[in-house]
Amino acid sequence: MIRGIWDRETVALLLLAAIMPMALTFLWFGGSGAIGRLALALIVAGLWHLIFMLARAQPPSFAGAIAALAVAMLVPEELGMLQLALGISFGSVMAELVFGGWGRNVVNPATVTLAFLGFSFPAAPWPELVLPIAWAAIPAALIGVGFGVMSGRIVGGAVLAGVFALAFGVEPGPVLPAAGVVLVLLVCDPVASAATGGGRWLNGLLYGGLVVLFMLAWKTAAPVQIAVSAALFSSLAAPLLDEAAIGLWLARRRRRHG
Amino acid sequence: MLGQEFRAGLSLPIKTPPRTKAGIIDLITEEAAITAAPGEELRVEMAVSEGALVAQGAPLARLRGHPQIAFVAPMAGRVASITLRPGHRLGEIVLFREADGGRFRHDRAAASSGRDEVAVRALMQQAGLWSALRSRPFGHMPRADEKPAAIFVMAVDTRPHAPDPSEALKGKEEAFARGLDALTGFTEGPVFVCQSRGANVLSDASNGRLRIVTTGERHPQGLAGFQIHAHFPAGLKAPVWDIHAEEVAALGALLASGHLPETRLVSIAGAALSESRLVRCQPGADLRGLSYGAVRPGNHILLSGSALDGHEARWLAPRDRQSTVLPRHGQRRRGHWFGAALSRAARPLPIIPTAALEQAFGAALPAAAMTRALASGDDETAVRLGALSLLEEDLALADYVTAAEPRLSTMLQGILARVAAEEG
Repeated sequence: MIRGIWDRETVALLLLAAIMPMALTFLWFGGSGAIGRLALALIVAGLWHLIFMLARAQPPSFAGAIAALAVAMLVPEELGMLQLALGISFGSVMAELVFGGWGRNVVNPATVTLAFLGFSFPAAPWPELVLPIAWAAIPAALIGVGFGVMSGRIVGGAVLAGVFALAFGVEPGPVLPAAGVVLVLLVCDPVASAATGGGRWLNGLLYGGLVVLFMLAWKTAAPVQIAVSAALFSSLAAPLLDEAAIGLWLARRRRRHG
Repeated sequence: MLGQEFRAGLSLPIKTPPRTKAGIIDLITEEAAITAAPGEELRVEMAVSEGALVAQGAPLARLRGHPQIAFVAPMAGRVASITLRPGHRLGEIVLFREADGGRFRHDRAAASSGRDEVAVRALMQQAGLWSALRSRPFGHMPRADEKPAAIFVMAVDTRPHAPDPSEALKGKEEAFARGLDALTGFTEGPVFVCQSRGANVLSDASNGRLRIVTTGERHPQGLAGFQIHAHFPAGLKAPVWDIHAEEVAALGALLASGHLPETRLVSIAGAALSESRLVRCQPGADLRGLSYGAVRPGNHILLSGSALDGHEARWLAPRDRQSTVLPRHGQRRRGHWFGAALSRAARPLPIIPTAALEQAFGAALPAAAMTRALASGDDETAVRLGALSLLEEDLALADYVTAAEPRLSTMLQGILARVAAEEG
């Protein structure tokens, strides 16, 4: 008879609140350039949400603002306004809106935007994240996990993979902060990541493992590029990981109950 | 791992005023009615006519296909009105209380030992106790000759402000043990007794087929659906029954004396009350009578059941043991037509897999996969994930938490109806 509050927009607002520490640090250290990029990303993404609302009756979502923020923080530098607008449009439309909006998409629109721009304009240098943003990722993850909108298992899996790599003597260098920021901004998106307990551990492990692998084998890549590529691949693998976890769960149940 | 299982679930902030100092009140309302449980279709043949004086426990109606299954008078009184819906479907049979109706004594001679399964079955059916049983999959009263693969006795209830079944069993331990003993005759499988930690409804499983299940305190751990899902999943060929512990004690009392107990323990709670109550009242009691004198001024809604899974009703529904009184908020402010059109076009609204969703399913199954299967009408996946053990009431918490539109419980009902139709 009574209704609760955990609908899509509540989750989106809580996610937005969780990444606020990172957003504020980014704006504080990024100056006017950061504000400009964020404004552009918000306007383009908002425009597409508006178009899909009018043409396809899809309610717009605050999740668009989260994607815009992630794009503004991680997008390659020295791109023109047109190129940026093109990339954000592609990610927002093809990765989110054509599926029916946030909650029905497969891959995070920000991840697709970043990968698209990275592949299309390989000459554009990837940003160097200032260290305070990476520190701000820690409270962001804590808030997200505390409210239950991000999964502690994904974070745990990624950290576990990192610890393994450290134990085997891998030197993380500048990749570690970038990987942390991308983990919170892109990988922990509850829609685009795995949704079962086991699948989430695997998702985190896979992301961490891919980051380590790229770091060791892909010498020419920038830290953010490594992290974004790992996020893209682990997000694409998420349904498979879920399927595996469910298969395992069903097999265990079959053994117990016949 | 074990600790996590106990902690699964949610504690809900549903407001109710403090309970009366008087403790448990005996309260037989002036009117009572027998009705069909929500969603259940019972085609009946009347055994009495309007104006007849009936004893407590006397048959009022019989099931059309199986006349041995009777529905009995919840109290001594006069039949005030009989409402049947088209096709002889039971609507409601209302009684006015008249104490000189007396109590009906059922013939228990054959069944009194509790050993003869056929006799116990016949006694339960003619005494109206059969409808206390619920069979899964599909959640209706079991067929007259159904053999369950397992039986779950629910001596725990975690619904918000539900009465504590171990409180209801106080002083009835002997009857409970007798009823439990008779119940084991129905099945060759195990009989699970679910109780909360610290409640000693049953301390030792002396009978080899009795199993004790200890549950945590948070909702939905005290729902039969999730216990069945965890310990003995129901299947199409292996129906699983569940029954409330108080009804098991009623069976024990019936076997001992031939009389049905006159009352059940019912809690009345909700934000529109000035005091919460714990009463012993007859089955099918008048909800207005139960909350009389305790309702705050203003418009309110009477629910049979908890705030989560209750239905607006006049009478206490057959398997319900609580009533919730909620304030009725004036006409909901109508949103803009454009917003309404948008949210209607997006139905079913997407559900984001959060920790809240997982806990609403008691962390017992892959919640996101289940909601997706329900929303897309993927019967096969839903059944594989355990939908056959679940009923509408089990998903009420998930509906509350996610504000799902349409409700997950409604979609589960649709899936169960389709599976039932396929099975014929």
